[in-house]
Amino acid sequence: MAWWLRKAGIEGETRVQFRPVPPAMTEAASLRGHTLDVLGLGVRYGAFTALDNVGLSVRAGEVLALLGPSGCGKTTLLRTVAGFVRQTAGRVLIDGAGIDDLPPNRRRVGIVFQNYALFPHMTVAENVAYGLKARREAAPRIAARVAELLEMVQLGALRDRRPAQLSGGQQQRVALARALAIEPSILLLDEPFAALDRSLRLDMQIEIKRLQRQLGLTAILVTHDQDEAMSVADRIAVMRRGRIEQLGAPVEVYDQPATLFVAGFIGTTNRLPCTVDGMARLRLADGTPLPVPAGALPPGPALLTVRPEQLELRDEAGPGCFPVELGLALPLGGQTVREARLADGTPIRLTEPRLGAIRDLGARAFCGLAPGARPALFPRPTPEEE
Amino acid sequence: MSPTLSRRALLAGTAALAAPLAARAQKPGSVTAAIYPGAWEEAFRDLVAPALKKSYNIELEMQALFAVDQVAKFAASRGAPPFDCFVLDPGPRATALERGMFEKFDASKLASRAAIPAALVDEWGIGCNAQVVGIAYNPKKLPKPKGYADLFKEPWVSRLGLTGFGTTFGTVSLIEIAKIFGGSETNIDPALAELKKVLPKIAAVSSPAALPGLFQQGQCDVTYTNTQTVTTLKDRGVDIEFAVPETGATTFLTTLHIAKGCENMDAAYKYIDTAVSKGVQDALQKPPYNFIPVNKEVALGKDLPMRSLDEMSKFVTHDWSKINPLRGQWIDRFNREMAK
Amino acid sequence: MSSAAALPAPRARGAAAPALSPWGLAAPLGLAYAAFFAAPLFMLFAVSFYADEQMTRFGLDQWRRFLFDSFHWKVIADTLLLGLKAVAATVLLGFPLALVYRAASPRWQRVLLFVVIMPLLTSVVVRTFAWIVILGREGVVNQLVLGLGLAAEPLRLLQTELGLVISLTQIEMPLLLLPLLSVMSRIDPNLMDASASLGASPWRTLFRVILPLAAPGLAAGCLLVFASATTAFISQSVIGGGRLVYLPSMIWQQAMIAAHWPFAATAAIALLVSVSAVIAVIAYAGRVAGGRVHG
Repeated sequence: MAWWLRKAGIEGETRVQFRPVPPAMTEAASLRGHTLDVLGLGVRYGAFTALDNVGLSVRAGEVLALLGPSGCGKTTLLRTVAGFVRQTAGRVLIDGAGIDDLPPNRRRVGIVFQNYALFPHMTVAENVAYGLKARREAAPRIAARVAELLEMVQLGALRDRRPAQLSGGQQQRVALARALAIEPSILLLDEPFAALDRSLRLDMQIEIKRLQRQLGLTAILVTHDQDEAMSVADRIAVMRRGRIEQLGAPVEVYDQPATLFVAGFIGTTNRLPCTVDGMARLRLADGTPLPVPAGALPPGPALLTVRPEQLELRDEAGPGCFPVELGLALPLGGQTVREARLADGTPIRLTEPRLGAIRDLGARAFCGLAPGARPALFPRPTPEEE
Repeated sequence: MSPTLSRRALLAGTAALAAPLAARAQKPGSVTAAIYPGAWEEAFRDLVAPALKKSYNIELEMQALFAVDQVAKFAASRGAPPFDCFVLDPGPRATALERGMFEKFDASKLASRAAIPAALVDEWGIGCNAQVVGIAYNPKKLPKPKGYADLFKEPWVSRLGLTGFGTTFGTVSLIEIAKIFGGSETNIDPALAELKKVLPKIAAVSSPAALPGLFQQGQCDVTYTNTQTVTTLKDRGVDIEFAVPETGATTFLTTLHIAKGCENMDAAYKYIDTAVSKGVQDALQKPPYNFIPVNKEVALGKDLPMRSLDEMSKFVTHDWSKINPLRGQWIDRFNREMAK
Repeated sequence: MSSAAALPAPRARGAAAPALSPWGLAAPLGLAYAAFFAAPLFMLFAVSFYADEQMTRFGLDQWRRFLFDSFHWKVIADTLLLGLKAVAATVLLGFPLALVYRAASPRWQRVLLFVVIMPLLTSVVVRTFAWIVILGREGVVNQLVLGLGLAAEPLRLLQTELGLVISLTQIEMPLLLLPLLSVMSRIDPNLMDASASLGASPWRTLFRVILPLAAPGLAAGCLLVFASATTAFISQSVIGGGRLVYLPSMIWQQAMIAAHWPFAATAAIALLVSVSAVIAVIAYAGRVAGGRVHG
């Protein structure tokens, strides 16, 4: 009877834990081990280029996040993979075979939509059974499979409800069960957590991640939320203006941003204007030399992007240190985020350990790179390039 | 409660709903006339009203009412007539006369009296428009038919357009057809029997309002109708001619009457006098109205089948007091016989 | 429900505020309705119970005359059938058009909407006579058919039920499309994508997703088309002609020409009852389909 009680608890938007995936499903070969390759994909709408020569490979059992601001092409890429948008160039391969000429209903690509797109005139069970009926499965098999999936997402008790009678989280679970019912080779998640409130979002992220692992699903997650991409994805493709700016593991994208845009879009970044001199040394605007290798850049104006945690405050001047005027301190959990200003007025943020000495607002101090910090260095863009 | 009383109450209620603003101001120097909606209303507003104002300084107020509505509205008014003058076709005229809705009419009070043929005036009213009914055909497609009997033969029958008892001209034409086949003013069965025989060949069985359009579009090329329709279509460039049947053209009058209980007799006579005066009748004969004038001083249009109004006394006329009680049945019979 | 339950509370507190009950607000409309709809309707019923044309005594004569005559039943059946045919034709042509509208860009949607509404901007009389020009023996359709050599003789379209249904389809189309388009454009486009991604063919998506969700709008449109087509007196008499007898023209003849008001009233009530009965069935069907969505 325990599962009954647990199901009763689902009624409110409380902590959700999916049931362990039944062994039959984890062993289902159809869900495991599919790859997706996108080769030189382009989508143009008249003069507007939505996707420009995009190439990426999603490995079997991997979650790849497409991250970027709205209008960057991530949703277009998703819809092209699903078959809703026809590309003007390039190919999409699943398990090495081209699917470009298949209509959406023959691609076996499962989608969870941002608004879930549940069929409002059908019950939860009918929603989940929809894809199975479309595939003309036998009725007993459909019933068994629907029961299995609803059990997995902990919605067995709500099987006869209509979507309008469900909470957001419950609707998302129905959407997930419905997408998984057709045993998709690729699962596409289009901003699936955007409509959930913050605490529930984290729960669902963890549960989906766990489910994906257990089932060995290959998935693409479209999001504009970098935290979500960081926590759920194995790799992140940062997109901008129809192109992929950087594709790599979350840590790699965070620590070694390939472009100034990636550096700015992922996490918090200080942008310090500086100059590379003729001897490949880096100097801050006020002339302070910084111990950062600058050999890769030609002499001229440059921009150093430094994460707040890559900076530290000191009381006395030293090599590589520059004077700052301290601003507000915001205690955030284990750390304090401190605002400060360089001598020329450039605002920066840095983190201080809370245990350290308490400095006053408006006090003067010195700032330098933390030991081991490897900030990224870029040529300073002209205003047009920004 | 006696049934008669409640019937009055019902009619009063109906009329009140039909025209919530019926309460009319009884101004001296004004006359209220019922008038058919549409072309008649336009013609009287454009021609009669200004003439009445100019000659006698009397304002003409019009109530647009079909004949049936005039009779019903008067019946509901119980002695306080909702308008001073009726305009009626022979059928409703006979009904209204039976029910005592008219004041006696004294034609000698009209300035135009001498110009109106005696046949057009009686002790209850005066004709303000004549209709002459015969056969209309397309001379480019069909030879001229000699009479109604030809309409049942080729080449005419397969191009024939019919209308039922819905209009006065339709009713009198069907009576004339019945007479050919042994019927009479009160027996139209032979006409329906003959029509039924040729029904599959007939080009169109139409509502009267649609018939001119059907003729213009070539859906039918021969029909019975009045001269007014022929002249109007001819003006639009339609190939159409009027033929007087060998049994004679049929004629009937649209008449003006003074409503019983009218308190404005003088203005009412002046209105009627203006409506039949030479100037107004002359204008009414012209397009777009194409009325047949009732005033002898008006020169008749060249398309009319007579050269003077006096010739009309030879045309066929009918007794509507006999037709009226049968007309409802006839309409019903026509529906049944013609229905697919 | 909760908002209705909360209503009395502020009223109890704010005694100074004038009590504007919903009944009070609805009173002007209600009175107008009583005066201009309920009262005439009552009188119509009353008139139908006069025994004779002169309306001098009461009796069931007119009802007997109407009901015990198979011709009148045939006229009722023809009238209702005409309505159903018009509904079928408007749905067959209008529903695909609604699908096109749904898929069109906003600019094309505006163009389509204008085209859809345009018939409403011209009078019924003009529209009806325009159809004479189109369907006539020497009309546009026949010129095309004869010109292409599809037939040796001009087709007979005017004065036939087919021609009447064709013209009613155009004339009544806006009544179907306006409610249908408003419901259709509210359907989440993601639902069609979801359906396709789950393996459903476009046809399955149409019948299992779009059609059930459009059902309330479709039912409302069918209802309007049916009510309008069965009572389209002008089109019926002008396009249909004298050989197609429907109740409205029968009522008109009896009331306006024969001046037989009791019989006309009887026929009018027969029209009211029979059309309402079919409308009730359509509305019920729409509620069953729509109830699945909103219940």
